Amino acid sequence: MINYHPSIEILTDYAAGSLPLAHSLCVSTHLERCPECQQQIRKLEMLGSHLFDQAQTESRQLSNLKDSFFKNLAQQPSPKEDHKVSPQEDKSIRWDDYAIPRSLRQFITKSYDDLTWMRLSPSFKIATLYNEEGGAQIALTRVKAGAHMPTHTHTGDEITLVLEGAFSDESGIYRQGDFINRDASHKHKPIVTKDAECICLTVLDAPIEFTGWLTRLLNPIVRRYHPHSH
Amino acid sequence: MERAIQLPNDEQRVTDIYAVAQHRDQAALGRLFDHYVPKVRSFCLAAQPGANLMADDIAQEVMIRIWNKAHTYKPESASLNTWVFTLARNARIDYLRRNSRHQSDIDPEYLWEHVIDENADPFKDAQQKRDQERIQQGLDKLPPDQKQVLSKVYLEGKTHKEAAEELSLPLGTIKSRVRLALHKLTIYVKR
Repeated sequence: MINYHPSIEILTDYAAGSLPLAHSLCVSTHLERCPECQQQIRKLEMLGSHLFDQAQTESRQLSNLKDSFFKNLAQQPSPKEDHKVSPQEDKSIRWDDYAIPRSLRQFITKSYDDLTWMRLSPSFKIATLYNEEGGAQIALTRVKAGAHMPTHTHTGDEITLVLEGAFSDESGIYRQGDFINRDASHKHKPIVTKDAECICLTVLDAPIEFTGWLTRLLNPIVRRYHPHSH
Repeated sequence: MERAIQLPNDEQRVTDIYAVAQHRDQAALGRLFDHYVPKVRSFCLAAQPGANLMADDIAQEVMIRIWNKAHTYKPESASLNTWVFTLARNARIDYLRRNSRHQSDIDPEYLWEHVIDENADPFKDAQQKRDQERIQQGLDKLPPDQKQVLSKVYLEGKTHKEAAEELSLPLGTIKSRVRLALHKLTIYVKR
Protein backbone atom coordinates (compact mmCIF):
# COMPACT_ATOMS: atom_id res chain seq x y z
CA MET A 1 0.00 0.00 0.00
CA ILE A 2 1.48 3.30 -1.09
CA ASN A 3 0.79 6.13 1.34
CA TYR A 4 2.94 8.97 0.10
CA HIS A 5 2.28 10.39 -3.35
CA PRO A 6 3.63 13.29 -5.39
CA SER A 7 1.65 16.51 -4.77
CA ILE A 8 -0.95 17.49 -7.36
CA GLU A 9 1.40 20.33 -8.42
CA ILE A 10 4.16 17.86 -9.21
CA LEU A 11 1.76 15.54 -11.06
CA THR A 12 0.42 18.47 -13.07
CA ASP A 13 3.89 19.70 -14.02
CA TYR A 14 4.81 16.12 -14.96
CA ALA A 15 1.73 15.62 -17.16
CA ALA A 16 2.33 19.01 -18.76
CA GLY A 17 5.98 18.16 -19.36
CA SER A 18 7.26 21.18 -17.45
CA LEU A 19 8.76 19.26 -14.52
CA PRO A 20 12.57 18.95 -14.63
CA LEU A 21 13.68 15.58 -16.04
CA ALA A 22 15.36 14.45 -12.83
CA HIS A 23 12.13 14.96 -10.88
CA SER A 24 10.12 13.40 -13.70
CA LEU A 25 12.27 10.31 -13.32
CA CYS A 26 11.09 9.93 -9.70
CA VAL A 27 7.45 10.53 -10.63
CA SER A 28 7.70 7.99 -13.42
CA THR A 29 9.17 5.39 -11.06
CA HIS A 30 6.39 6.06 -8.56
CA LEU A 31 3.74 5.70 -11.29
CA GLU A 32 4.94 2.22 -12.15
CA ARG A 33 3.69 1.15 -8.74
CA CYS A 34 0.75 3.51 -8.23
CA PRO A 35 -2.45 2.95 -10.24
CA GLU A 36 -4.09 5.79 -8.31
CA CYS A 37 -1.62 8.39 -9.56
CA GLN A 38 -1.72 6.83 -13.03
CA GLN A 39 -5.44 7.65 -13.09
CA GLN A 40 -4.69 11.25 -12.15
CA ILE A 41 -2.06 11.51 -14.87
CA ARG A 42 -4.54 10.13 -17.39
CA LYS A 43 -6.99 12.92 -16.51
CA LEU A 44 -4.28 15.57 -16.40
CA GLU A 45 -3.21 14.50 -19.89
CA MET A 46 -6.83 14.78 -21.06
CA LEU A 47 -6.84 18.32 -19.70
CA GLY A 48 -3.60 19.00 -21.55
CA SER A 49 -5.08 17.73 -24.79
CA HIS A 50 -8.08 20.07 -24.49
CA LEU A 51 -5.82 23.07 -23.88
CA PHE A 52 -3.65 21.91 -26.78
CA ASP A 53 -6.73 21.60 -28.97
CA GLN A 54 -8.12 25.01 -28.03
CA ALA A 55 -4.86 26.93 -28.41
CA GLN A 56 -4.89 29.71 -31.02
CA THR A 57 -3.31 28.68 -34.29
CA GLU A 58 -1.84 31.12 -36.79
CA SER A 59 -3.05 31.13 -40.36
CA ARG A 60 0.33 30.45 -41.87
CA GLN A 61 0.91 28.65 -45.12
CA LEU A 62 2.40 25.31 -44.28
CA SER A 63 2.57 23.83 -47.76
CA ASN A 64 6.37 24.14 -47.96
CA LEU A 65 6.71 22.41 -44.64
CA LYS A 66 4.32 19.71 -45.79
CA ASP A 67 6.24 19.15 -49.03
CA SER A 68 9.54 18.82 -47.27
CA PHE A 69 7.99 16.56 -44.65
CA PHE A 70 6.72 14.11 -47.27
CA LYS A 71 10.05 14.23 -49.05
CA ASN A 72 11.81 13.31 -45.80
CA LEU A 73 9.25 10.63 -45.07
CA ALA A 74 10.14 8.80 -48.27
CA GLN A 75 13.65 8.38 -46.87
CA GLN A 76 12.50 7.12 -43.48
CA PRO A 77 13.28 3.49 -42.67
CA SER A 78 10.11 1.50 -42.11
CA PRO A 79 9.01 1.51 -38.47
CA LYS A 80 10.34 -1.19 -36.23
CA GLU A 81 8.26 -2.92 -33.64
CA ASP A 82 8.63 -1.38 -30.25
CA HIS A 83 11.14 -3.68 -28.65
CA LYS A 84 11.60 -1.81 -25.41
CA VAL A 85 11.64 -4.14 -22.44
CA SER A 86 8.56 -4.35 -20.28
CA PRO A 87 9.01 -4.04 -16.51
CA GLN A 88 9.02 -7.77 -15.87
CA GLU A 89 11.15 -8.91 -18.78
CA ASP A 90 14.85 -9.43 -18.68
CA LYS A 91 14.79 -10.06 -14.96
CA SER A 92 17.77 -12.17 -14.21
CA ILE A 93 17.33 -14.51 -11.30
CA ARG A 94 19.64 -13.68 -8.48
CA TRP A 95 19.60 -13.95 -4.74
CA ASP A 96 18.21 -10.50 -4.25
CA ASP A 97 15.77 -10.82 -7.16
CA TYR A 98 15.06 -7.10 -7.34
CA ALA A 99 13.20 -5.94 -10.42
CA ILE A 100 14.71 -2.74 -11.78
CA PRO A 101 11.97 -0.19 -12.51
CA ARG A 102 11.60 0.47 -16.19
CA SER A 103 12.32 4.17 -15.78
CA LEU A 104 15.76 3.38 -14.31
CA ARG A 105 16.83 0.93 -16.98
CA GLN A 106 18.58 3.62 -18.92
CA PHE A 107 21.04 3.70 -16.01
CA ILE A 108 20.92 0.16 -14.64
CA THR A 109 20.80 -2.68 -17.09
CA LYS A 110 20.99 -5.75 -14.91
CA SER A 111 21.33 -5.37 -11.19
CA TYR A 112 21.83 -2.79 -8.48
CA ASP A 113 25.03 -4.70 -7.64
CA ASP A 114 26.61 -3.69 -10.94
CA LEU A 115 26.64 0.00 -9.96
CA THR A 116 29.69 1.67 -8.47
CA TRP A 117 28.74 2.05 -4.83
CA MET A 118 30.60 4.46 -2.59
CA ARG A 119 30.61 3.37 1.02
CA LEU A 120 30.02 6.32 3.35
CA SER A 121 29.71 4.21 6.50
CA PRO A 122 29.64 0.47 7.25
CA SER A 123 25.89 0.40 6.67
CA PHE A 124 25.35 3.20 4.16
CA LYS A 125 26.30 3.25 0.46
CA ILE A 126 25.52 5.63 -2.34
CA ALA A 127 25.76 5.22 -6.14
CA THR A 128 25.44 8.19 -8.46
CA LEU A 129 23.30 7.42 -11.51
CA TYR A 130 23.60 10.76 -13.18
CA ASN A 131 24.72 14.31 -12.49
CA GLU A 132 22.85 16.88 -14.48
CA GLU A 133 25.08 19.66 -15.64
CA GLY A 134 24.29 22.58 -13.35
CA GLY A 135 21.32 20.62 -12.05
CA ALA A 136 20.38 17.82 -9.81
CA GLN A 137 22.18 14.72 -8.64
CA ILE A 138 20.35 11.46 -9.15
CA ALA A 139 21.57 8.68 -6.91
CA LEU A 140 20.63 5.46 -5.22
CA THR A 141 21.18 5.00 -1.51
CA ARG A 142 21.45 1.56 0.02
CA VAL A 143 21.20 1.12 3.77
CA LYS A 144 21.47 -2.13 5.72
CA ALA A 145 18.50 -3.54 7.64
CA GLY A 146 17.99 -1.82 10.97
CA ALA A 147 20.67 0.79 10.35
CA HIS A 148 20.43 4.49 10.99
CA MET A 149 21.16 6.87 8.20
CA PRO A 150 23.37 9.71 9.37
CA THR A 151 21.37 12.77 10.50
CA HIS A 152 21.33 15.26 7.68
CA THR A 153 19.73 18.45 6.44
CA HIS A 154 19.06 19.34 2.85
CA THR A 155 20.62 22.35 1.28
CA GLY A 156 18.11 22.09 -1.55
CA ASP A 157 14.95 20.11 -2.30
CA GLU A 158 15.19 16.36 -2.05
CA ILE A 159 12.93 13.72 -3.52
CA THR A 160 13.22 10.19 -2.18
CA LEU A 161 11.47 7.22 -3.69
CA VAL A 162 11.56 3.89 -1.87
CA LEU A 163 12.54 1.15 -4.33
CA GLU A 164 13.06 -1.74 -1.92
CA GLY A 165 12.59 -2.20 1.84
CA ALA A 166 11.29 0.50 4.15
CA PHE A 167 12.50 3.24 6.47
CA SER A 168 11.01 5.56 9.05
CA ASP A 169 11.76 8.96 10.48
CA GLU A 170 10.10 11.40 12.87
CA SER A 171 7.18 11.90 10.47
CA GLY A 172 6.27 8.37 9.46
CA ILE A 173 7.14 5.05 7.85
CA TYR A 174 7.87 4.85 4.15
CA ARG A 175 7.49 1.71 2.07
CA GLN A 176 8.06 0.56 -1.47
CA GLY A 177 6.75 3.09 -3.98
CA ASP A 178 6.35 5.94 -1.47
CA PHE A 179 7.34 9.35 -2.81
CA ILE A 180 8.80 11.75 -0.27
CA ASN A 181 9.54 15.38 -1.06
CA ARG A 182 11.57 17.37 1.48
CA ASP A 183 12.63 20.97 1.31
CA ALA A 184 15.76 22.71 2.52
CA SER A 185 14.43 23.37 6.03
CA HIS A 186 14.03 19.71 6.83
CA LYS A 187 16.43 17.92 9.12
CA HIS A 188 15.87 14.24 9.66
CA LYS A 189 17.30 10.99 10.89
CA PRO A 190 15.90 8.02 9.01
CA ILE A 191 16.09 4.46 10.32
CA VAL A 192 15.72 1.42 8.08
CA THR A 193 13.29 -1.26 9.26
CA LYS A 194 14.86 -4.40 10.71
CA ASP A 195 13.54 -6.94 8.19
CA ALA A 196 15.39 -5.91 5.02
CA GLU A 197 17.85 -3.51 3.50
CA CYS A 198 16.46 -0.34 1.99
CA ILE A 199 17.24 0.99 -1.48
CA CYS A 200 16.01 4.44 -2.41
CA LEU A 201 16.17 6.63 -5.46
CA THR A 202 17.06 10.19 -4.48
CA VAL A 203 17.20 13.40 -6.42
CA LEU A 204 19.05 16.23 -4.76
CA ASP A 205 18.92 19.76 -6.08
CA ALA A 206 21.91 20.56 -3.86
CA PRO A 207 24.17 18.35 -1.73
CA ILE A 208 22.82 17.06 1.58
CA GLU A 209 24.71 18.07 4.69
CA PHE A 210 25.42 15.69 7.51
CA THR A 211 24.93 17.32 10.90
CA GLY A 212 26.19 14.62 13.29
CA TRP A 213 29.57 15.43 14.91
CA LEU A 214 31.39 12.53 13.27
CA THR A 215 29.48 12.28 9.99
CA ARG A 216 30.24 15.96 9.30
CA LEU A 217 33.52 14.60 8.02
CA LEU A 218 31.55 13.19 5.06
CA ASN A 219 30.42 16.59 3.82
CA PRO A 220 33.44 17.35 1.63
CA ILE A 221 33.10 13.91 0.00
CA VAL A 222 29.40 14.33 -0.65
CA ARG A 223 29.95 17.81 -2.06
CA ARG A 224 32.68 16.57 -4.34
CA TYR A 225 30.23 14.18 -5.97
CA HIS A 226 27.52 16.77 -6.47
CA PRO A 227 27.41 18.54 -9.85
CA HIS A 228 26.99 22.00 -8.33
CA SER A 229 30.48 21.89 -6.90
CA HIS A 230 32.23 21.18 -10.19
CA MET B 1 -17.09 -1.57 -27.33
CA GLU B 2 -17.66 2.13 -27.47
CA ARG B 3 -14.70 4.28 -28.36
CA ALA B 4 -13.39 7.36 -26.61
CA ILE B 5 -15.52 10.45 -27.17
CA GLN B 6 -14.95 11.74 -30.69
CA LEU B 7 -16.73 14.45 -32.64
CA PRO B 8 -17.53 13.61 -36.27
CA ASN B 9 -14.30 15.27 -37.49
CA ASP B 10 -12.44 13.37 -34.83
CA GLU B 11 -13.96 10.16 -36.15
CA GLN B 12 -12.53 10.93 -39.56
CA ARG B 13 -9.13 11.34 -37.93
CA VAL B 14 -9.44 8.06 -36.07
CA THR B 15 -10.23 6.42 -39.42
CA ASP B 16 -7.17 8.17 -40.82
CA ILE B 17 -4.91 6.91 -38.08
CA TYR B 18 -6.04 3.33 -38.82
CA ALA B 19 -5.42 3.89 -42.51
CA VAL B 20 -1.91 5.07 -41.64
CA ALA B 21 -1.31 2.11 -39.35
CA GLN B 22 -2.72 -0.59 -41.60
CA HIS B 23 -2.27 0.65 -45.15
CA ARG B 24 0.56 3.21 -44.76
CA ASP B 25 -1.88 5.66 -46.32
CA GLN B 26 -0.03 8.92 -47.03
CA ALA B 27 -3.18 10.82 -48.00
CA ALA B 28 -4.58 10.06 -44.53
CA LEU B 29 -1.30 11.18 -43.01
CA GLY B 30 -1.60 14.40 -45.04
CA ARG B 31 -5.02 15.10 -43.51
CA LEU B 32 -3.62 14.51 -40.03
CA PHE B 33 -0.74 16.82 -40.93
CA ASP B 34 -3.17 19.60 -41.91
CA HIS B 35 -5.04 19.26 -38.65
CA TYR B 36 -2.27 18.72 -36.14
CA VAL B 37 0.78 20.56 -37.42
CA PRO B 38 -0.68 24.07 -36.79
CA LYS B 39 -1.59 22.95 -33.26
CA VAL B 40 1.83 21.47 -32.56
CA ARG B 41 3.48 24.63 -33.90
CA SER B 42 1.37 26.86 -31.61
CA PHE B 43 2.15 24.57 -28.71
CA CYS B 44 5.89 25.04 -29.37
CA LEU B 45 5.66 28.77 -30.03
CA ALA B 46 3.82 29.21 -26.71
CA ALA B 47 6.92 27.91 -24.95
CA GLN B 48 9.47 29.68 -27.17
CA PRO B 49 7.83 32.68 -28.87
CA GLY B 50 9.29 33.40 -32.30
CA ALA B 51 11.17 30.10 -32.54
CA ASN B 52 9.67 29.14 -35.90
CA LEU B 53 12.43 26.74 -36.89
CA MET B 54 12.09 24.86 -33.63
CA ALA B 55 8.32 24.72 -34.10
CA ASP B 56 8.78 23.31 -37.63
CA ASP B 57 11.30 20.72 -36.43
CA ILE B 58 9.12 19.53 -33.58
CA ALA B 59 5.97 19.48 -35.73
CA GLN B 60 7.73 17.29 -38.30
CA GLU B 61 9.06 15.05 -35.57
CA VAL B 62 5.53 14.60 -34.19
CA MET B 63 4.28 13.66 -37.66
CA ILE B 64 7.10 11.12 -38.04
CA ARG B 65 6.15 9.65 -34.67
CA ILE B 66 2.51 9.47 -35.77
CA TRP B 67 3.65 7.66 -38.94
CA ASN B 68 5.86 5.24 -37.04
CA LYS B 69 3.65 4.63 -34.02
CA ALA B 70 0.15 4.72 -35.51
CA HIS B 71 -0.15 0.96 -34.85
CA THR B 72 0.37 1.55 -31.11
CA TYR B 73 -2.57 3.94 -30.77
CA LYS B 74 -5.29 2.39 -28.63
CA PRO B 75 -8.62 4.21 -28.68
CA GLU B 76 -9.69 2.54 -25.42
CA SER B 77 -6.75 4.09 -23.56
CA ALA B 78 -6.92 7.65 -24.85
CA SER B 79 -8.65 9.84 -27.38
CA LEU B 80 -6.61 10.62 -30.50
CA ASN B 81 -6.19 14.24 -29.35
CA THR B 82 -4.76 13.10 -26.04
CA TRP B 83 -2.42 10.70 -27.79
CA VAL B 84 -1.13 13.42 -30.12
CA PHE B 85 -0.81 15.85 -27.22
CA THR B 86 1.45 13.38 -25.40
CA LEU B 87 3.53 12.89 -28.58
CA ALA B 88 3.90 16.67 -28.91
CA ARG B 89 4.74 17.10 -25.26
CA ASN B 90 7.40 14.39 -25.41
CA ALA B 91 8.87 15.69 -28.66
CA ARG B 92 9.10 19.19 -27.19
CA ILE B 93 10.80 17.89 -24.04
CA ASP B 94 13.22 15.89 -26.16
CA TYR B 95 14.04 18.85 -28.41
CA LEU B 96 14.63 21.20 -25.48
CA ARG B 97 16.76 18.60 -23.74
CA ARG B 98 19.03 18.14 -26.74
CA ASN B 99 19.31 21.82 -27.55
CA SER B 100 19.36 23.53 -24.18
CA ARG B 101 22.28 25.10 -22.39
CA HIS B 102 22.18 22.32 -19.84
CA GLN B 103 22.00 19.21 -21.92
CA SER B 104 20.65 16.23 -20.11
CA ASP B 105 21.32 12.60 -20.86
CA ILE B 106 18.13 11.47 -19.20
CA ASP B 107 16.14 9.87 -21.98
CA PRO B 108 12.55 11.12 -21.70
CA GLU B 109 11.37 8.22 -23.85
CA TYR B 110 11.46 6.01 -20.77
CA LEU B 111 9.68 8.46 -18.51
CA TRP B 112 6.29 8.91 -20.10
CA GLU B 113 5.76 6.10 -22.55
CA HIS B 114 4.86 3.43 -20.05
CA VAL B 115 2.16 5.43 -18.37
CA ILE B 116 -0.75 3.29 -19.35
CA ASP B 117 -3.39 1.86 -17.17
CA GLU B 118 -2.68 -1.83 -17.22
CA ASN B 119 -5.61 -2.95 -15.12
CA ALA B 120 -8.23 -3.87 -17.64
CA ASP B 121 -11.46 -2.30 -16.54
CA PRO B 122 -14.70 -3.09 -18.39
CA PHE B 123 -16.06 0.35 -17.46
CA LYS B 124 -12.94 2.15 -18.62
CA ASP B 125 -14.36 3.38 -21.90
CA ALA B 126 -17.50 4.80 -20.30
CA GLN B 127 -15.43 6.28 -17.50
CA GLN B 128 -13.07 7.86 -19.96
CA LYS B 129 -15.93 9.33 -21.92
CA ARG B 130 -17.38 10.86 -18.76
CA ASP B 131 -14.01 12.30 -17.75
CA GLN B 132 -13.51 13.80 -21.19
CA GLU B 133 -16.92 15.46 -21.13
CA ARG B 134 -16.47 16.82 -17.63
CA ILE B 135 -13.07 18.25 -18.45
CA GLN B 136 -14.16 19.78 -21.73
CA GLN B 137 -17.30 21.38 -20.30
CA GLY B 138 -15.58 22.44 -17.10
CA LEU B 139 -12.73 24.09 -18.98
CA ASP B 140 -15.12 26.44 -20.78
CA LYS B 141 -16.55 27.60 -17.47
CA LEU B 142 -13.29 28.24 -15.62
CA PRO B 143 -12.58 31.81 -14.51
CA PRO B 144 -9.89 33.42 -16.73
CA ASP B 145 -7.28 33.61 -13.96
CA GLN B 146 -7.46 29.85 -13.41
CA LYS B 147 -7.37 29.08 -17.10
CA GLN B 148 -4.41 31.42 -17.55
CA VAL B 149 -2.35 29.49 -15.01
CA LEU B 150 -3.24 26.15 -16.63
CA SER B 151 -2.15 27.55 -20.00
CA LYS B 152 1.15 28.69 -18.53
CA VAL B 153 1.84 25.23 -17.17
CA TYR B 154 0.60 23.18 -20.10
CA LEU B 155 1.21 25.29 -23.17
CA GLU B 156 4.12 27.48 -22.14
CA GLY B 157 5.79 24.61 -20.30
CA LYS B 158 6.30 26.56 -17.08
CA THR B 159 6.50 25.02 -13.65
CA HIS B 160 4.25 26.39 -10.91
CA LYS B 161 7.25 28.31 -9.60
CA GLU B 162 8.05 29.88 -12.97
CA ALA B 163 4.39 30.79 -13.52
CA ALA B 164 4.38 32.54 -10.12
CA GLU B 165 7.49 34.54 -11.01
CA GLU B 166 6.17 35.55 -14.37
CA LEU B 167 2.78 36.68 -13.09
CA SER B 168 4.41 38.31 -10.02
CA LEU B 169 2.13 36.35 -7.75
CA PRO B 170 2.98 34.32 -4.66
CA LEU B 171 3.53 30.62 -5.36
CA GLY B 172 0.67 29.88 -2.96
CA THR B 173 -1.76 31.82 -5.16
CA ILE B 174 -0.69 29.88 -8.25
CA LYS B 175 -1.01 26.60 -6.42
CA SER B 176 -4.49 27.41 -5.14
CA ARG B 177 -5.66 28.54 -8.58
CA VAL B 178 -4.49 25.27 -10.12
CA ARG B 179 -6.02 23.24 -7.31
CA LEU B 180 -9.34 25.07 -7.61
CA ALA B 181 -9.37 24.53 -11.36
CA LEU B 182 -8.49 20.83 -11.08
CA HIS B 183 -11.10 20.43 -8.38
CA LYS B 184 -13.79 21.93 -10.62
CA LEU B 185 -12.72 19.67 -13.46
CA THR B 186 -12.96 16.75 -11.00
CA ILE B 187 -9.37 15.83 -11.74
CA TYR B 188 -8.17 16.55 -8.26
CA VAL B 189 -9.77 14.81 -5.34
CA LYS B 190 -8.16 15.45 -1.99
CA ARG B 191 -6.74 12.23 -0.56
